[in-house]
Amino acid sequence: MSETREPPYKKVKIAETIDKFLQQIMLSKKNLQAIVSDELIKPVPFTKVYVGNVKNVKELSKIITILNEKIPIKELQHLKRAWKKEVLLCPVRYLNSMTQESIQEYLEHKVSELKDSFEYFKVMSLPSLPPRLKKQHIDYSKVWSCNFHPNEYLERLCGSDFFPVAELMKHRCYMGVAFETARYYLSEKNPDLQLSDILLRDINATVVVDPSICSIVAISFDNRECHPIQHSAMLAIDNVAKTQKGGAWNTSTDREYPPLPGIDNNLVLYLKNKFPNAKFGARNYVTKEVLDENRMSASDSPYLCTGYYVYMIREPCIMCSMGLVHARANRVFFCLSNNNQGALISKTKLHCVPSLNHRFEVFTEFL
Amino acid sequence: MVEFMKRALELASEALSAQEVPVGCVFVINSEIIAESRNSVNATHNPTRHAEINCIDQVIDYCKTNNIDYSMCFKNVTVYVTVEPCIMCASALSNLKIKEVVYGCANDRFGGKTVLDISNFYEYNYNLTGNLMATEAMALLKQFYKGANPNAPESKAKKEKV
Repeated sequence: MSETREPPYKKVKIAETIDKFLQQIMLSKKNLQAIVSDELIKPVPFTKVYVGNVKNVKELSKIITILNEKIPIKELQHLKRAWKKEVLLCPVRYLNSMTQESIQEYLEHKVSELKDSFEYFKVMSLPSLPPRLKKQHIDYSKVWSCNFHPNEYLERLCGSDFFPVAELMKHRCYMGVAFETARYYLSEKNPDLQLSDILLRDINATVVVDPSICSIVAISFDNRECHPIQHSAMLAIDNVAKTQKGGAWNTSTDREYPPLPGIDNNLVLYLKNKFPNAKFGARNYVTKEVLDENRMSASDSPYLCTGYYVYMIREPCIMCSMGLVHARANRVFFCLSNNNQGALISKTKLHCVPSLNHRFEVFTEFL
Repeated sequence: MVEFMKRALELASEALSAQEVPVGCVFVINSEIIAESRNSVNATHNPTRHAEINCIDQVIDYCKTNNIDYSMCFKNVTVYVTVEPCIMCASALSNLKIKEVVYGCANDRFGGKTVLDISNFYEYNYNLTGNLMATEAMALLKQFYKGANPNAPESKAKKEKV
């Protein structure tokens, strides 16, 4: 706007600020954090149950056998039937509330042979879902004895040092590529680009990487100002399709038969200058017919975003997140959260919806 | 209403013949079809090319060519689609402030209402009604999934549907 009036040194200073920000993203050793489902991090719901204190401990195993047979509790199988001298009888809601049935009456009716086995009864609140992390198991074990099958991968995923440093630096570098992409396209229109233009505007940039060959497959920058559904993830998915003899949108990546379908050629030159070690291009696409003919397996050819990592400067919206589910992306990394529209932590955790047929992992905390 | 859904079903059948998931869609303003399309995911190798997305593109192209503000156009559109829009399409339609969506059968794998109710995340919500010629829409889907791979074990999602 006021380009001409600004002293020349200011331009340098602005560029330095963006560079400084990018340095922080790319060089920080701070590990990324996975965004996992709420049941792993939020307190689990509790359910009220009746517990009976056994008169004669010697009868304990007999009582458990009878109870498991006569009053099975399918929804609470993670809870052991007995703990010390106490036995889990049933959830409170099993009793008939209309007749104000007591637990003694319920037992007489259901398991009359146990009607005199208990010293006293009490109501307890016990976790209604099984523990999935060691920490949850320890917490639950303070109130009742639980069955628990530790999952080492899940423990690491929920921990604070998931990625080894060498791998972490790769992810941080690809996030740097995403920011450089935003800077490249925004600078075309605005040579005096400020860091806030990248951070605060409702725009996104996406970099798709095939980690099996450490190569950038597709890149895209937001075009929502001209086309309301051309958010960068939607464009990135189409650009990936272009590397697989497909694609639906005519965009800048199509200019003059680019050597790399899926990436704008001028952008590649810009990025190669900034990231001399970065590799570009997808694995060779093989059609289904050729795969069948040569008795190759489906994994010998890329398929949609299967196995791909997706780096975005901003948390994708619901449309884009679902697009990435359809595309079968393997992991999604984002830097800035999107409070109004974000579907991976801000508004919902789409990747944790249990009924979806594909799920990806999500990582953030680049800053 | 029924005539538009019939047209959407024709488009869905066309998708089936082209070995695409049979979903068809028409966009209607004042009882006039302004865009019509069907799934083209397999042809484009782009899993987001659902019937609704293709229609949205048609409208935007048309508006650009004729210098019309597309947002004015979308706010008068009623969408007839044979299957409940998925979470992605439902969000796109919400973002565009579409007037109304009428669908055939529910989408219990990806539905923007059935699987995850996206109306919770948007200030603007279009009017949504379902179950118009649902049997016909479902019959096409069943035909597709039956033919897709006769040797594949029945998936969990499909078992639940039956």
